[in-house]
Amino acid sequence: MSQGKEGDKAREEFLAEAQELIETLSRDLLMLDEGQRRGQRSAETLNDLFRGVHTLKGLSGMFGFERLGRLSHVLEDLMENLRLGRIDLTQQVLDVLFEGVEGFSRLLGEAKAVGEPANVDIDGFAESVRALARAKATAHDVLDQYELDPSMLGVLTEYEEHRLRTNFEEGLSVFRLRVRLALDVIDTALEQLKERVKSIAEIITYLPSMEGGGGDVIEIEMLLATRKAESELRAALNRPDASLSLVLRRASGAEGSDARVKSLAPPSAASNSLAAPAPRAAALQRSAPEPPSELSLRSLTSAVRVDIRKLDNLMNVVGELGTVRATLSRLVDKLRSSVDQTLWNEAHRVQRAFGRHLSEVQEGVLDIRMVPLAQLFDKVAVIVRQVAREQKKEVRLLITGGDTEVDKLIAEELADPMMHMVRNAIDHGVESATGRAGAGKPAVATLAISAYQKGNHVVIELSDDGRGIDSAMIREAAVRKGLLTEHAASDLSRDELLHVVFLPGFSTATTVTDLSGRGIGMDVVKTNITRLGGSVDLTSEVGVGTKVTITLPITLAIISALLFEVRGRLLAIPLAVVQEALRLPASAVRTVEGREVLTLRGTTLPLCRLGDIFGFTATTQEHRDLFVVVVSVGNKRLGLCVDRLSGQQDIVIKGLGRSLSQIRGVSGATDLGDQRLVLVLDAAAIIEEVLIGRSTPLSLGGLQ
Amino acid sequence: MSGDRMLSASPATPRLSGRVEEAGIREFLAFMVGSECYALPLSCVREIMRVPPIAEVPRAPAEVLGIVSVRGQVTTLFDLRKKLDLPCAAIGQRTRVLLIDQGDEVLGLLCDRVLQVYRLSEDEVELASVLGGETSSYVMGIGRPGQRKTQGAGAARVASARAAAAQQSAAEILILLDPIALFKRHAHE
Repeated sequence: MSQGKEGDKAREEFLAEAQELIETLSRDLLMLDEGQRRGQRSAETLNDLFRGVHTLKGLSGMFGFERLGRLSHVLEDLMENLRLGRIDLTQQVLDVLFEGVEGFSRLLGEAKAVGEPANVDIDGFAESVRALARAKATAHDVLDQYELDPSMLGVLTEYEEHRLRTNFEEGLSVFRLRVRLALDVIDTALEQLKERVKSIAEIITYLPSMEGGGGDVIEIEMLLATRKAESELRAALNRPDASLSLVLRRASGAEGSDARVKSLAPPSAASNSLAAPAPRAAALQRSAPEPPSELSLRSLTSAVRVDIRKLDNLMNVVGELGTVRATLSRLVDKLRSSVDQTLWNEAHRVQRAFGRHLSEVQEGVLDIRMVPLAQLFDKVAVIVRQVAREQKKEVRLLITGGDTEVDKLIAEELADPMMHMVRNAIDHGVESATGRAGAGKPAVATLAISAYQKGNHVVIELSDDGRGIDSAMIREAAVRKGLLTEHAASDLSRDELLHVVFLPGFSTATTVTDLSGRGIGMDVVKTNITRLGGSVDLTSEVGVGTKVTITLPITLAIISALLFEVRGRLLAIPLAVVQEALRLPASAVRTVEGREVLTLRGTTLPLCRLGDIFGFTATTQEHRDLFVVVVSVGNKRLGLCVDRLSGQQDIVIKGLGRSLSQIRGVSGATDLGDQRLVLVLDAAAIIEEVLIGRSTPLSLGGLQ
Repeated sequence: MSGDRMLSASPATPRLSGRVEEAGIREFLAFMVGSECYALPLSCVREIMRVPPIAEVPRAPAEVLGIVSVRGQVTTLFDLRKKLDLPCAAIGQRTRVLLIDQGDEVLGLLCDRVLQVYRLSEDEVELASVLGGETSSYVMGIGRPGQRKTQGAGAARVASARAAAAQQSAAEILILLDPIALFKRHAHE
């Protein structure tokens, strides 16, 4: 029994680890892609990719995921060829790589038994990889042009040779460095040296040299490639005893047997006692570019993966402790008069300490739930690339603020809306190459995603420099779809028209293509965001671009709420949606076509009697004075009429059970600490219900 | 294991857990709602508790009394009276909430009084169909503790048993409820 459980756990671990690896792979690929566009080549990224694929292969084999293993194997071969320069990194190769990583995702989905059995044609994929390898022609050898000892070239691995060649081709200077290191500290000294060198140059190889060694000292020779000048390299090394010399280009026709390079000649078999450490150093040196030969079961990071539900449970317990704290403080207060003063002081101190530590625990738990948005943006970047390739559009993605943190749940829920919006932006926002040229815009479109924290909220902006949204076309489409009457539509301002794209029913495939603008599932986007307690806003200028702004609470777990009473029932609403709370005489209410409204600083505010829409039976007399809580979501406002304001409180929202999941206008409940539950209202849903209702044509009174 | 099986031969032994596989004996928790005596499989009853403060939920299905906090968990509280179209009763000294594990959610069920646990063998349970075609889907049978099912059990006897159950805590006839069907939300709600 426990055996099976262990097995499940190990499998879970594998799946999580594989997921992480695949995410890292796609991130590295994107870096590679970007580098390739800019004409840079990053050997380091290529190595990271190779190692990732290799690890995945090992893991898959160990846990018996045969297809994942096979795909890894194919990709590993491809990576190997790339690393060794047998294949050039072209856009075509990148496509194959992306395809491979996507295959991983699908196979992993299958392994998790969430999706359909993945239809991944590994053999076909392997064939296309082999085709790439065949396509590469043999290049001329640049190494012949430099003063390098052939016998030294002989000991270089294929990879080192490739790196050397590449560096020469790219015009970097290659230096030969000789340093004497004490034998007893060779490991640490060598590492230190490598670290220093790496900051300024690439280490192509290092070998123990036969010259100058002796006793307890060993001389190490390194081949370094750098763009920096010799003096800078010297400064970075900070070792006056090191000898540094530039590997020179051969004078044409000269025979290559320069004395200085000769020292790199491999030790003769019969040399001396120093031959012993040599293989060790060589092995060390190989371990860097070569894959780790034995796979470690240890995780790559010190991080712990935790099921979010466990954190939810913990959060609940913390909430419970909060109620214990409240009870405790009541008790301590009661004791004041009845017990001896010193005893009371002590109890009071303990109670305060408890409260303080509890707050820390609460913050700690919340902090654990936070993840950087970069996790999400990385996935978005893959989509951007994919959609751009599909549409044959060139798109540059600029991401800022990836380190902004949000609750894990929010990050998860954001994924779909983000994908939707990115797709929309590229599909419909960004013009074709000819269109852009015609409009005098740069050929490469820019899609910018930026995130930043603003108080208790996180703002995510997604803007493109595409064609923008034509409000006239929205108007036409909305009328055609029966969402607006001709008359109502003609009264709407441009801003109001833009918000029509968020209306359910506006977005269908045909509307969108007709419109050539945004629209696919914008209502879905909006619904998802408002469910998270956030809001979506849209601005657009024809010919210039479109910007979608999403505002979200940082965490769902604890929010500040305004408490109020309606017909004897205590209710709460997130403070984030509350603009202000007013006290007015009942006579301030006017009606417009039977709807109650209020004039607030010159604008009309629609009112809603919560007691009526929720069907609460009246328990007390109607109050003479009226409290109005002004709530706004996006740019819609509504005044909620309540009987009494009961203050602010930080609350933990808990969902209603499945049996009550469909209650419109209620997002959950909270325990106030005395076992009393208070319903937390869903402002977005209430606004929607009151202002838009279910009738068509729509009343757009709330759109301002 | 074998010891348990031996014990199960004697119905008087109280130590037995009410698992179905044990010689067809099942345990039910009996409780009163109005004048009728109901019972739910003991295995699905998590807890019996006093009635905590109830928060009303607007727009909830009619049989939902509201929500209560059970150690921090928001729990939906059902009232069988509403389902049975009985008038609501005031919460009294003996009113209790049964926490029912319904599979994917723990729900509260208000009852006027908790009676006792009955161990019923197969022949102490009649199928709901004896009541005719109009029984609710959540009634899975009729329990007759301590009585062997006989062909001669007439309607008059049922009626008198029901009257007796209203007065005594030891019920003679139990309406056995199916917890899943009981809380099932219908499409029209």
